[in-house]
Amino acid sequence: MWVWFSKLGSPKWFYELSGKWLPWLIAAMVIFMTIGLVWGLLFLPPDYQQGFTSRILIVHVAVAGTSLAFFPLMFVAGTITLVWRMKLADMVAKNAAILGAWFSFITLATGSLWGSVMWGTWWEWTDSRLVSMLFQLFLLLGVISLRSALEDSDTAAKACALLSIVGCINVVIIKYSVEWWNTLHQVSSPVTTDASSPNGPEFWIATLIMIVAVYLFLSVSLILSTRNEILERERRSQWVQDLVLKS
Amino acid sequence: MTEKQTTTSAAFWATLKRDLLIAFKKKNDIVNPFMFFIIVVSLFPIGISPESDRLTEIAAGVIWISVLLASMLSMDNLYRSDFEDGSLEQLLLSPHPLFFLVLAKNISHWLVSGLPVVLVAPLLAYMLALPEEAYGTLILSLLLGTPIMSLLGSIAVALTVGLGSRGLILAVITLPMSVPILIFGTLAVQSTLNSQSPAGYLSLMLVMLSVSVSLAPLASAAALKISVN
Amino acid sequence: MSSAAPTIASNSDTDKPMLAVRALFCERDDRVLFKNLDFDLAPGQVLQVQGSNGSGKTTLMRILCGLNDGYEGSIKWYGQEIEEQAASFFSSLLYIGHRVGVSKVLTPVENLRWSCSLKQAVSDEQIMAALKEVGLRGFEESPCYTLSAGQQQRVSLARLLISPASLWVLDEPFTTLDKKGVAQLEGILQRQAQAGGSVMVTTHHNLDIPELSVLSLG
Repeated sequence: MWVWFSKLGSPKWFYELSGKWLPWLIAAMVIFMTIGLVWGLLFLPPDYQQGFTSRILIVHVAVAGTSLAFFPLMFVAGTITLVWRMKLADMVAKNAAILGAWFSFITLATGSLWGSVMWGTWWEWTDSRLVSMLFQLFLLLGVISLRSALEDSDTAAKACALLSIVGCINVVIIKYSVEWWNTLHQVSSPVTTDASSPNGPEFWIATLIMIVAVYLFLSVSLILSTRNEILERERRSQWVQDLVLKS
Repeated sequence: MTEKQTTTSAAFWATLKRDLLIAFKKKNDIVNPFMFFIIVVSLFPIGISPESDRLTEIAAGVIWISVLLASMLSMDNLYRSDFEDGSLEQLLLSPHPLFFLVLAKNISHWLVSGLPVVLVAPLLAYMLALPEEAYGTLILSLLLGTPIMSLLGSIAVALTVGLGSRGLILAVITLPMSVPILIFGTLAVQSTLNSQSPAGYLSLMLVMLSVSVSLAPLASAAALKISVN
Repeated sequence: MSSAAPTIASNSDTDKPMLAVRALFCERDDRVLFKNLDFDLAPGQVLQVQGSNGSGKTTLMRILCGLNDGYEGSIKWYGQEIEEQAASFFSSLLYIGHRVGVSKVLTPVENLRWSCSLKQAVSDEQIMAALKEVGLRGFEESPCYTLSAGQQQRVSLARLLISPASLWVLDEPFTTLDKKGVAQLEGILQRQAQAGGSVMVTTHHNLDIPELSVLSLG
């Protein structure tokens, strides 16, 4: 177990292993993404209530679901950074913050696109999921800006790790408190549960495929950006220089 | 070499006393956030509406948001001068648990920056036409909420203490974290206005305060160690 | 890659080192500051750390105090890693860095009351006596911003007179002192060594202390 764990911490080992996995992951991602997008966006029968807008929802739900994974991921990476001082965890955390911000942003964008059709407004404060996603985006931007402000990379790694742990706890509290806040302000809300969940098993299957596709996309982009990070940070080490000479 | 080591509580009180002493010698650090709070609150009626009906509606939110901003601005003093003159290193090298020393600093900071704001709140609530029956809830919610702000803000300040210019990054980190406090603080006041009991919200804030008191100083201590590294 | 070849010239030979540093490695911003650094510090020893600017003297001092954990290797205090016994190590340690830990708004007495009480119980008489000895008589109650840099340094040095710590780690304590102050501090260091304590000090001065040994960083 410990051998495995310390091996995992070695950037070189990760670089080699991820290089082997990457083609398979990319292939799986392309397959799921194609099925999800082509079937979901072009062939899925329109929902009887929402019409064709339910197709946006497939992408939105998949991206939103994935967005929720970022803070837990950064929590784990942060703990590993602080406790075991594993550099690889920090490289993952750094890219997870940036990717997470993009995912949160896309969630908000697709959500408001869907809202503009369904609710007739681009932004709706009474939808607690959108509001808490907005604050998750803010917290992630806080982590990113803390990292860019700190010059020393070791300090930045530990500081961001700590902030991610605090942020993860906070994001959970925010989520529940915003939900609560919302139930008390539902007076004139256009958001109803009927309108936000289209029926039909096809819809859920398409969403499921899309969720898998987006998770694969997340893994691939995280691995790719971490590999870049490894090359940059380990540029002085022998194995990276050998690698560069070979190619 | 047989002199007695201090107890942790002696170190705690020494730190608390020292920070209060510094605060009273540097009065600007106390007065400015306080003035800021009063000025910001005074701007709202001018920017929104002088009608007392509309002011009543926004009073709790305006006071709460101004409190958050003022407490965030005052946070910057918490560790900066200690970092610059090296006292922070001495603090970190104390044999006593850092948890209590950081807690002492947070308590002193709240006493000089949070408490005055809470005490002046009824006056501003009056100016914003908040009905009298809500004063009690407002003060109670502020009494519970401002220490949470100090404790949470302390983590962010500790993380950014080594940075040259950190005013804005502090805001970016702390303000989103204060959302739950803002929600429960304003909901408590609203529910009093709707003649409901605010006890539920206040007890939730009490829970949040006790969790913050027991966990946040640990995070602050870890953050200070990281920043001084 | 610059290799720091540490050399140690020791004139005291004790079997049980209070501080044992083994295979210390530190890298900062892709630059190796020192590697394979080994040395012992025995009771009664004054170790002067020498090296050019940027050779890692301050970093080494901070690592030894546990302020900087960006190192590999082992630092043992009476046979146990310092990280594993932080509290007992800290109570026998006194560190004065570049930033001397003197708050400018407080008076020397108020400063010492706090910084000493973090470690041990201290009376106002002790503080007054120490301030008098470092030549700050008459300045006890003036805020430190009215004092010169050298006088502020003296405030921090007064802690040496009060402290029972057995290990002193002093980073450039001589820089702002005048001639008389330098001679006095040398005397204080020597007294510490004779009392069985030990000192690590960085300075470019040639110290006139018989217990002195020198550690050179590359």
